Amino acid sequence: MNAKIKLENHDRQQIKYTTCYMCACRCGIKVTLEDDKVRFIQGNRNHPTNQGVLCAKGSAGIMKQYSTAKLTQPLMRKPGTERGEGIYEAISWEQALDVLTERLEEIRATDPSKLAYFTGRDQMQALTGLWAQQFGTPNWAAHGGFCSVNMAAAGLYTIGFSFWEFGAPDWDFAKYFIMWGVAEDHSSNPIKIGLEKLKRRGGKFVTVNPVRTGYSAIADEWLPIKPGMDGLLAMSMVHVLLKHEQFDYDFLVKYTNASWLVVQTPGQKGDGLFLRDEAGNPLIWDIEKEIFKNGVDGDIAPALFGEYVAPDGRRVKTVFSMLAERYLDVRYAPENVALEVGLPAETIERIALEMAHVAFKEAVELPIEWTDVWGRKHDKVVGRPVAMYAMRGISAHSNGFHACRAVHFIQMLLGALDGPGNFRARAPYPKPIPPHQLPENNIDIINAPNTPLSRPPLGFPTRPEDLVVDEFGNPLRIDKAYSWEVPIASHGMMHMVITNATNHDPYAIDTLILFMANMAWNSTMNTKNVQDMLRMKDPEEPGEYKIPFLVVIDAFHSEMTNFADLILPDTTYLERYDTISLLDRPISEPDAAADAIRYPLVTPDRNVRPWQEVMVELASRLKFPAFTKPDGSRKFKDYPDFIVNFERSPGIGFLSGWRGKDGSKSLKGEPNPKQWEKYIENQSFFAHHWPENQKYIRYANKDYLEVAADAGFVGKVEPIIMQFYSEPLQKFRLAGMGLYDGPQPNNQVDRERLVKYFDPLPMWYEPLEQQRVDAGEYPFFALTQRPMFMYHSWDSQNVWLRQIMAQNYMYMNARKAAEMGIKDFDWIWVESHNGKIRCQVKTMEGTQEDTIWTWNAIGKQKGAWGLKENASEATKGFLLNHLISELLPEKSGERRVTNSDPVTGQAAWFDLRVRIWKAEPGETGSWPQFDTLKPYPGDERYERPNVLRYDARSHEKN
Amino acid sequence: MRLGLVIDLDVCVGCHACAIACKEWNASGTIGPLSDYQPYGAEPSGVWFNRIRHFEMDEYPNNKTVNFPMSCNHCEDADCVTVCPTGASYKRAEDGIVLVDQDKCMGCNYCSWACPYGARELDRSSGTMKKCTLCVDRIYDQNLPVEERQPSCVLTCPAHARMFGDFDDPDSAVSRVVRERGGYGLMPELNYNPTNQYLPPRRKPVIEMSGAPKGGLKESIKQFANRLVRR
Amino acid sequence: MHPAFSVIFFTVASGAGFGLFSLLFIADTFKLGGGFERDQLVAGGLIAMALVVFGLLSSTFHLANPKNAWRAFSRFRTSWLSREGVFAMIFMPLALIYLASIMFDAPLWLREISGFLTAVLAWITVFSTGMIYACLKTIRQWNTPLVPANYLALGYASGSLLLLLGAVISGLDTMPYIAMSALIVAIAAVLKAIYYFWIRDPGLSPTINTATGLTRAKVKLLDTGHTHGTFLTQEFGYRLARKKAGLIKTLVFVIGFGLPGLMLIAVFNGESGQFAALAAALGGLIGAAMERWLFFAEARHVVNLYHGAQRC
Repeated sequence: MNAKIKLENHDRQQIKYTTCYMCACRCGIKVTLEDDKVRFIQGNRNHPTNQGVLCAKGSAGIMKQYSTAKLTQPLMRKPGTERGEGIYEAISWEQALDVLTERLEEIRATDPSKLAYFTGRDQMQALTGLWAQQFGTPNWAAHGGFCSVNMAAAGLYTIGFSFWEFGAPDWDFAKYFIMWGVAEDHSSNPIKIGLEKLKRRGGKFVTVNPVRTGYSAIADEWLPIKPGMDGLLAMSMVHVLLKHEQFDYDFLVKYTNASWLVVQTPGQKGDGLFLRDEAGNPLIWDIEKEIFKNGVDGDIAPALFGEYVAPDGRRVKTVFSMLAERYLDVRYAPENVALEVGLPAETIERIALEMAHVAFKEAVELPIEWTDVWGRKHDKVVGRPVAMYAMRGISAHSNGFHACRAVHFIQMLLGALDGPGNFRARAPYPKPIPPHQLPENNIDIINAPNTPLSRPPLGFPTRPEDLVVDEFGNPLRIDKAYSWEVPIASHGMMHMVITNATNHDPYAIDTLILFMANMAWNSTMNTKNVQDMLRMKDPEEPGEYKIPFLVVIDAFHSEMTNFADLILPDTTYLERYDTISLLDRPISEPDAAADAIRYPLVTPDRNVRPWQEVMVELASRLKFPAFTKPDGSRKFKDYPDFIVNFERSPGIGFLSGWRGKDGSKSLKGEPNPKQWEKYIENQSFFAHHWPENQKYIRYANKDYLEVAADAGFVGKVEPIIMQFYSEPLQKFRLAGMGLYDGPQPNNQVDRERLVKYFDPLPMWYEPLEQQRVDAGEYPFFALTQRPMFMYHSWDSQNVWLRQIMAQNYMYMNARKAAEMGIKDFDWIWVESHNGKIRCQVKTMEGTQEDTIWTWNAIGKQKGAWGLKENASEATKGFLLNHLISELLPEKSGERRVTNSDPVTGQAAWFDLRVRIWKAEPGETGSWPQFDTLKPYPGDERYERPNVLRYDARSHEKN
Repeated sequence: MRLGLVIDLDVCVGCHACAIACKEWNASGTIGPLSDYQPYGAEPSGVWFNRIRHFEMDEYPNNKTVNFPMSCNHCEDADCVTVCPTGASYKRAEDGIVLVDQDKCMGCNYCSWACPYGARELDRSSGTMKKCTLCVDRIYDQNLPVEERQPSCVLTCPAHARMFGDFDDPDSAVSRVVRERGGYGLMPELNYNPTNQYLPPRRKPVIEMSGAPKGGLKESIKQFANRLVRR
Repeated sequence: MHPAFSVIFFTVASGAGFGLFSLLFIADTFKLGGGFERDQLVAGGLIAMALVVFGLLSSTFHLANPKNAWRAFSRFRTSWLSREGVFAMIFMPLALIYLASIMFDAPLWLREISGFLTAVLAWITVFSTGMIYACLKTIRQWNTPLVPANYLALGYASGSLLLLLGAVISGLDTMPYIAMSALIVAIAAVLKAIYYFWIRDPGLSPTINTATGLTRAKVKLLDTGHTHGTFLTQEFGYRLARKKAGLIKTLVFVIGFGLPGLMLIAVFNGESGQFAALAAALGGLIGAAMERWLFFAEARHVVNLYHGAQRC
């Protein structure tokens, strides 16, 4: 009866290990190849990131490799056609590189700032940043400005590491886990692995999120908060912890600036700055010796509370006294915030006390001997097993920086950072607070022709002098990052580039290079108008566009490539060499520093080149000093050669494994000519596992900090004191008040923003856009999130993934919908102050009542991403982006201001408010609709059959 | 042996990883290819052995979202096998896996009518019924590393919400977890005796809270006192 | 369930064919209304067989892989579909023997035994057809003895009306044929009425709660995990509005049972007998086709519980 099961013939198969690139998670993958076809992609069991598992995107990588949206050759907009028409001519790589080199040479020799280079979903900012720095333009950033900068900046200015990618919850020991505003997409596999571990061990999982899908689905408790209220919730929890005296006194004294003294001279210069000794050290009041002492030293017994008089007669107060005064205020009492945040007061209080209970009554003790940075030995590590993770729901609001800092306040109060069961740092973090890296702001260097910047374009300002502005206070960057408008825009502001460049504000640029960024569609705010801006001609330069030359690098035919003047086709992640470097966004785990590579597994069948390779080529042609030998000849043969031999500082390069001439050194060592081979032999990744005594409390762990200093993670071995009170913010605020000894803004708008929003302690304020739109007129909050199976994998043209979702709906609370007479699958209009869209509704229980939301980037422009014109992504799918403006609503007497967090410049795309109404009968299909993109030369090779039958082993079966 | 899956609804985050891994393995596996219809067109669809549905329990704000992966249950009393007129559908005596012999199937759809769980999908190109094979071409392949001789959905599941094993063995991990967690089969009233078992979402852990703090509730900064703590 | 035209045509045509053939045998054996002549019997038998054959052929159109259709006889022991095929295949030669024994004046015992066996097999085959549906626990509306009863009653009702038409054309005494038709059509109408009342509330059936095992609270589908249709939604997702179903039920009774009833009276009264008999037969067949369409359209497969249905 039983037919014999045929097993697979493996004779023609090869197994290779590389790194996934379907999202930012960067898991290790094991790829089975049958001849040159991809048979199977699975997780690499030995890889620290994914430990053998793999998400839907990872497995769907096959269909990305065989996508019919792949670009096939370099393309130039056909002379005589208009930008955006999408009519192209094929050119050779030599022609393309000649055209680009000539243009860039001219810019670099005259005004390097006229090149803007922005990158999207790439993960090689160390290289692109180096390239921009060597070119000499300050106009470089990746997409962090609309993604995560609130999280990164809040963390790096507060605890020395951060949510987003510089830390991870300790799933092995956590007993209580709160997830704040994490859309169901972020940190794909590690969070899934972790949540299961936590729940299996009986830990409690609480989610704070207006929407209950994905991770929140499996939470033990769901707190359906109103969007933008997270900061207020966190501050109310701080109130409860203070009121119940539930804080870790020892931790506060040892590892934070809670005891540092703050000068209290309101209305005078120096108010709100730390009391410092002559050497500049912050001071504390030592209650044993009753003298002021250096607050960074080890040998102190500081007062946590109190007001004192400094030797110069100024009154001073401890940070913690200021903090307790502020948050004990009834303003933050649960019963007084309940209505605003949309949660019962009892719940807020209970959750705060549950955390405190677990932190203090269920502490974890590990018998690990370690030495603190002040030289004292400890015989155990105590963990307060409350872990947190936070992301988009905090980040994408204009009050997100302060909200995120407030969440870190809870962690600090509980003493729950980088210990067992906590949110823990991932190498190269923690770093000094903030990291010792300032953005280039020397105008002479920036303007100097053919000269690299002396520092990277991005960094962490600590005072007004660090801003990237000219002597009149005008921005030097095209995105206005690090200007008075957004002083701590540490990831740049990609979302402002096209608008500013089109308005020639602060100046006109010549060439815009966009790499892997869909700024004409789902990765921009205000999509429709941005498309118009890209088409806009310059009335003063007949025939020229406002942005004269647009270069787009991508592997796929997108809404963005359609606007390019020059398209450089990239390879897929299975076709090229690549590094996932510790100099970049780390893939380290709390227990191991790690980096990884990719190498070509499949031979490209088209005339495409890896952008890495092209960048090295351009850098060599343009004779960037770091890429050129003293005799003027090129220094690096190609990208792999560059990776092996480039050293940022002696012994430190892009890859930290198998360094040294013989490959015997880790983290630091001379270049190893066989480094790629060693990585390939070792499954394409390197992990340095931290010994037990270097795993925890690394902000004050001597042995760890010594290794970190040697590896260049930190400058020197010194304590990293966490900052409740942020002095850099106060300096900017003083500048706004006119009380700063140094540069001050001369525009009233800037002054007001600094005074209001640069509070050195976290504050909650209504999101900026919401301050300017009438909540009565626009009663709903509107959000987006990416589905797990497409997160960071913007190209849902993938024929397997799009079967799961080929149309997005607008989700809303079922009861609310019933009240409004709206049913499942009704078409509705959604309108914001910026425009309106038409879309289809689905109702659900798991959505906060005042919120509507949809899946992002499902909607596509007709003809894009290798899909047919009638694809439902284009006819029924929609973007919320049309409703979101990159600028705040106009206010009379004020220049147009960015719709971003006023501290960090984080795009505030979750601040949106809308109103909705049912469409008339017959009004169906999504709106607005756009022209159909035309196929490119070279597209003829793709058939797009009505039935696809992929089988890597078909040769065996026929 | 009675091989099957345990699906833990308590930890399934609904990521569809199992569905795609399944599609990926089986597309080039012994039962493949698996047709995709209108892959670039208006209404993309295709043959899948694993589909994830999403349900909501109860009403706002007490609602809970439950992600619900489904594939063949390899039932003990598999009507899909008994109703098959050609003998293409069969249940293996040695391990209980229900399979469709692609060389015998005439594509009458009748077995899919008999299946309450939607496990069977017709491949219109081959004209044959296809379904989860429990990766029979993986689990017995001696050329694969031992730890990889598992269905690809189980191998890939990021939340480890899927377990594979022998339900005839009372000491197997799957048997134990079903006992401990109250695992159940779907639609028991139809008496198909599904082999796959689902673990229900757990009840909330309760945090025992201590009473009010010793020093009483603090209303003002003045009520706090410094303690001698040396750094 | 998706009402597939090929299956509707198959079950209606073969049901009528089997019914006609069985009743033809009875008419022949008892020489009802004076009895048909040889050629008339053979012609009637061939017409019945043609209905069966066209029905069977049509049923293969819904096979996705008909080249394996021959294997359908192999699971006789467990599968009603296989049994139906086997019985239909045995019916064919027996029916031919019966017709041949009429044609070539074979001994009466051969004619009667082969006729009897053919009639029995016809009955069993139609019963098997009904059991194909009735044995499915997944479809509450089908999982009842009423289904084979309905299949038999409707098959024989339409067969009897065809036979009446034959009797009228052949100029026989129509009285016994009218009586037979009236009786069978009445039985079919009663059975169908019972079925329609029964499926309004067919008792305990699986719900979204038992389908998911989530029994502590109300459960609703949030998302099916695929934007567009799948094999499952295409095959099982058919939904019929209650109002439309009611209308079709009325039409089934008016056209399928009422019209033939009236026409029987007309035939009895001798008013344009041929036309009335033709109308009765057509009404019976059209009614049966509508009934069959509704039989599929109203059936709710339990897999719909995973696509949003609260109960099936």
